[in-house]
Amino acid sequence: MGALSLRDLTFRYPGANDAALQGLTLDIPRGGVFGLLGPNGAGKTTLISLIAGQLRGASGDMLLDGAPLAEARRRAPRSLGLVPQEHAFYPMLTCRENLRFFGGVQGLGAARLAERVAAASAFARLEPVLERRAGELSGGLKRRLNFAIGLLTEPQVLLLDEPTVGVDAQSRAFLLERIRALAAPDRIVVYTSHYMEEVQAICDRVAIIDHGRVLLAGPLAEVLQDSARSLALRLSAPLPAALAAQWRARFDLREDGTLRYELRLGAPADLVQALQAAQAAGCEPLSIAYGERDLEQLFMRLTDRSLRD
Amino acid sequence: MLRILTALWTKEWLALSRDVHGLAVLFLMPAAFIVIMSLALSDAFKEGARVTDFAVLGSPKLGERLAGEGFRAVPAPADERHARDELRRGRLGLVVLLPAQYDGTGPVTVLADPALDALQLLAFRERLLGAALGIDLKRATNVSVEVIGSPRPARPSSVQQNVPAWLIFGMFFVVLPISALFIVERRDGTAARLRSQQVAFSLLLVGKIGPFFVINLLQTILMLAAGLTLVPWLGGEALSLPARWDLLAAVAACTSLAAIAWGLLVAVCARTLEQATVIGGVGNILAAALGGIMVPRFVMPATMQAVASLSPMAWALDGFHAVLLRQGSGSDIALPCAKLVALAAVLFAAAVWLQRRRG
Repeated sequence: MGALSLRDLTFRYPGANDAALQGLTLDIPRGGVFGLLGPNGAGKTTLISLIAGQLRGASGDMLLDGAPLAEARRRAPRSLGLVPQEHAFYPMLTCRENLRFFGGVQGLGAARLAERVAAASAFARLEPVLERRAGELSGGLKRRLNFAIGLLTEPQVLLLDEPTVGVDAQSRAFLLERIRALAAPDRIVVYTSHYMEEVQAICDRVAIIDHGRVLLAGPLAEVLQDSARSLALRLSAPLPAALAAQWRARFDLREDGTLRYELRLGAPADLVQALQAAQAAGCEPLSIAYGERDLEQLFMRLTDRSLRD
Repeated sequence: MLRILTALWTKEWLALSRDVHGLAVLFLMPAAFIVIMSLALSDAFKEGARVTDFAVLGSPKLGERLAGEGFRAVPAPADERHARDELRRGRLGLVVLLPAQYDGTGPVTVLADPALDALQLLAFRERLLGAALGIDLKRATNVSVEVIGSPRPARPSSVQQNVPAWLIFGMFFVVLPISALFIVERRDGTAARLRSQQVAFSLLLVGKIGPFFVINLLQTILMLAAGLTLVPWLGGEALSLPARWDLLAAVAACTSLAAIAWGLLVAVCARTLEQATVIGGVGNILAAALGGIMVPRFVMPATMQAVASLSPMAWALDGFHAVLLRQGSGSDIALPCAKLVALAAVLFAAAVWLQRRRG
């Protein structure tokens, strides 16, 4: 059981036909960064909102170190920090006023508040813009302010819901480096993103969810290793029907209609055999990927390629 | 708890201090209305300038002779019942009832609109008894006056009407800044973030009540000051000060609670800034039109006056008039204050209930 244990969580928005979460079970340990992946509408934000206490009414259990999460939060209200997708701060206030406000409503005393405002703004490198109104900041700086607010209480559980959306490459790299730096043995860091390369770069463990269920979860290395025997091909011509049927049965063939094919091979020897069969059928391999699957390929395979919204 | 409230109040103050349009609505708009309306209507509120319509049942000639000096004869109603109806509706000020085949010896009854000033009543009675009459009333045993309905309060002067009226109007306009920030908080995810930080919704509401209560009291002070200084400086009549400042503060406080609670309910109900502006702004204008803010209630016909008394702005105006106009006591403001506080409690409870229902 992980430090944060989610058991059979089911949640339906009022008036919705389908449940946003359908018996979701997940264990999130302390230490490292836990990546939560899923297409739009998969249930990531719903899950984050339930853990953060923004949404209520889910069935199932949420446990923190074995105790109900709500009870744990009553005992230590400042133990959880959230960095939401939105720029959740006041545009008419300065960065410092925003930080002071969000620290103040969490009950930080004057000295501690001053100390934490300084620390969080230093961590997010906001010092030069502390006296500027938040609404006047660039997209990257707004993200950094949003991020800094989530760190004010030094939370033991930190939820980051797509914290790099809409920023330039430099800001993204900076934020990722900062998030990685937050990983500590006694801290739970949950990170959701659409950007697979980000997750692959900073997360130690991942879970892929879709339709409110966990499709796959585990250490990143193991998750990628599971798919190490997949072969991605781009061919010069469509596969003949007979060969395609044969591969479908034997290699779980998937195709996307653009002469790209994915096969799950049983053994390394199957690789040579598959390539020879393609060549014999007049389909020259134009590109080949084998042995290393990146997260995006795995994600697309698990969640299907169809558009979600 | 105090730290949280301090943070919430500070945030509201900072946000409001940077909302130029909100400040203009709260302070400039009522001040402008007070000055403009006090000056524009200063003559209309003077008793001497008013002409009272009257009719005589049984002697058209008497009607002609009584006319003049603020009294205008109009065609007489068909009978006494119709005459009473006309008086109740405020269409007539006075009706003289002469007995059939009056020979100048019996009693004469005058039916009077309760809103009529006592001096006017006296003047009319004198005219009736005066030597100018062409019929012989010298042996009349008496002239009795019957006021139709309960006596109404004294009429305010222009500044006495307009200062509290537009002050109340301005106080209720806290609905706009309250709902605007509330909706921005909901739209931008700030409210959700605060929920994740376990800040109770009821505490957030209390965090909004404090600053806007102070704003309403500031409005009261500044609008009274405008009536005391600005209006006379521009040529109007000065506002007379109340004898009991504590009662004035009590009325202002109760009005403020009702206005803020209304603002909170609109903030919870409206999903967009446009909706809040329409619900809050139009709601206020309707309540003002109905409640004697835009049109003084004493010029409304009786039916409209009954409807007007349903408006919370009318309750507030009753309270302010009791203190400013009639120098009343605590018991005089008790009813309007109780109504306003009860309304505030209902609106506040509705806002909390609705928010909880929405999750």
